[in-house]
Amino acid sequence: MLSIMNKIHPVLILIIRFLLGLIFVYASYDKILDPGKFARDISNYHVVPFGLENTIAIILPWLELIIGLGIIIGVCINASVFISGGLLIVFIILIAQAILRGFNIDCGCGLKEGEVVGWSKIIENFLFLGACYIVHESKSRLLEFYPK
Amino acid sequence: MDIKFQKQVALIIGISFICGASYNSIRDEGIPWLAKPIEKISSAKDIEINIGIPSIREIDLETAIKLQKSGALFVDARSEEYLEDGFIPGAINDDDTDALSDEITTLIGFDQGFVIYCSDDDCGSSEDLAYDLQEYGFNNILVFKGGWKTWTESGLDVEYNE
Repeated sequence: MLSIMNKIHPVLILIIRFLLGLIFVYASYDKILDPGKFARDISNYHVVPFGLENTIAIILPWLELIIGLGIIIGVCINASVFISGGLLIVFIILIAQAILRGFNIDCGCGLKEGEVVGWSKIIENFLFLGACYIVHESKSRLLEFYPK
Repeated sequence: MDIKFQKQVALIIGISFICGASYNSIRDEGIPWLAKPIEKISSAKDIEINIGIPSIREIDLETAIKLQKSGALFVDARSEEYLEDGFIPGAINDDDTDALSDEITTLIGFDQGFVIYCSDDDCGSSEDLAYDLQEYGFNNILVFKGGWKTWTESGLDVEYNE
């Protein structure tokens, strides 16, 4: 698998990296502007106790923004894609449990307004997860500034 | 996973925490760190309390039935495509919040209580719409949590678009 990864052209990895970073930056935008709405979206999943949806809504969008920027500008890329991958796994689990419990709720993903949870969101998140893996495992990186 | 990598992960999470906390504390629309549950009222009499103070409160099926019988305004927060299955008699709906706000203002003004509902207990669109409409200046918003599912499961009357 790793040998295949090293055969991917560095420019293609750079494009994947930029797209992945842009997705996280874009997803963070509305959530930063309206954390109240994002907190309600989180609450609708019925998995977060003690009103902690507000705490998550205050911190998580900034985490998405910072890892997105890190991936784009080439700072702490490995740590950023590691966190991105972790978040995507959590999102996949949350969406899957919502579907299985029959919830017809806003996904709160931040990519498209009014998008409801569904299997297509899970497939989408697996694609992003694959992109995280490719970026994480790639050896030849263009425009990586820190750590060298 | 080396120490340097772990430090980078911790640094990213730390910076995110500081940015989120700082931004939330300086902005006017900052939210509390812990969410407060919506106040529940179980009597139609309580609805006129708090007029003038913006409030969003939750009602149960029994109160919703009493309000519907007394002619209170109901707002259906579901998307228009769901209305083909019917809606609570007299309920209004508009995907355009500006137009919906105008309609509510014309019908009852800003202070009279009205009820918003969506599909069921777990849908969030009634609460989202309640918070959106509160920003337009409506002071007395009631969210019927059980929504359409509870209403129809109780065998109550429904209305259909012609």
